[in-house]
Amino acid sequence: MFITNCDMYNEEQKISFRFSPELDVDFLQELYGDDFQQAEMIFESSAQQLRTELSLAEARFHDGDIPGLKKAVHKIKPLFGYIGLNKIMSEFAAFEQECAQANEPASVETGFQHMRMIAAEALQKVDNEIKRLKQHNTQYL
Amino acid sequence: MKIQSIIVEDLQVAADFLKRFCEKCGVVEVIHHFLNAEDALHYLKDNVVDLIFLDVEMPGVSGFELLDQLVYTPQVILTTSKTEYAYNAFQYNVTDYLKKPFTYQRFLEAIQKVSKKSEQENGNAEQDHLFIKSDGKLIRLHNDDILFIESMGDYVKFITPSKKYITHNTIKNLETKVNPQVFMKVHRSYIVNFTKINDIQENVLFINGNMIPISKTHKSGVMQKINII
Repeated sequence: MFITNCDMYNEEQKISFRFSPELDVDFLQELYGDDFQQAEMIFESSAQQLRTELSLAEARFHDGDIPGLKKAVHKIKPLFGYIGLNKIMSEFAAFEQECAQANEPASVETGFQHMRMIAAEALQKVDNEIKRLKQHNTQYL
Repeated sequence: MKIQSIIVEDLQVAADFLKRFCEKCGVVEVIHHFLNAEDALHYLKDNVVDLIFLDVEMPGVSGFELLDQLVYTPQVILTTSKTEYAYNAFQYNVTDYLKKPFTYQRFLEAIQKVSKKSEQENGNAEQDHLFIKSDGKLIRLHNDDILFIESMGDYVKFITPSKKYITHNTIKNLETKVNPQVFMKVHRSYIVNFTKINDIQENVLFINGNMIPISKTHKSGVMQKINII
């Protein structure tokens, strides 16, 4: 079997992909190995579902529905794990606890504002990473 | 032959992630993905699977509630984002417990446990006896001597025609250890030797004068197992 220059180039390129340092690189490498197609697919669907669930959480918060908000946060939380934002996942886990103990909507307001802000920043990072992954993966199509 | 599995998971991303691992390992086939436990239960009423990848916290019926309602016990791998369920997982005798998101390596370890347990269970199908620890000694009980097994919290009682033996165990755990060709669970607190059943009336069965309830969820399983002419 011949190994062409092109194969060697692709192999090097494949190895050369690195997740962005603003994400948990070691964890993502452990999670996806060199399966960057899977990484792209999961990043895309995570971003999509994050947007849906965040809108839902927003609606629950405005309705003053704390159990509903807790449920939405529970669903949002692991999504950050799949995109290498484990620190944010932990913050959402803490907020989920806060919701579980809250008696009135006002007591989770500050926490919710913070979650909203970090989630928006996270989405930007994810969108950038999706672009990078797409760019990398299209080289092998 | 591949391990036939279903995924019960309300998070689409988590299910996609898991499906990819199943494809990659080549030994697990995902037959269906259900977004809630109710749909999965409906499916499991008429279909048998080897393995369930089960999320715990889902809207409506939870993963543990689904396990309570199953009439048979496939192997279960719990997939959850919380670690608090470890004790329950132990109680329900699940094969493994994966914290989301998990790595491919961790997934493979779980599948190896499934294969190992499956081999053990196939071995059980040929067993004509079991050993129980009671009164500080190991006692050999032949399947034919056991009328039924009753739960007593963290203990179980083995009833034979002549004696009762109490041992530290759970019905959930024993369900996978006894020979499925002779024993079956008829209620969350009872496993019976169905060759010993004398008669059945509505939701109760009788063995040697002992009245044993049949739960609503186990009724169809019981009726399938007995030979009605």
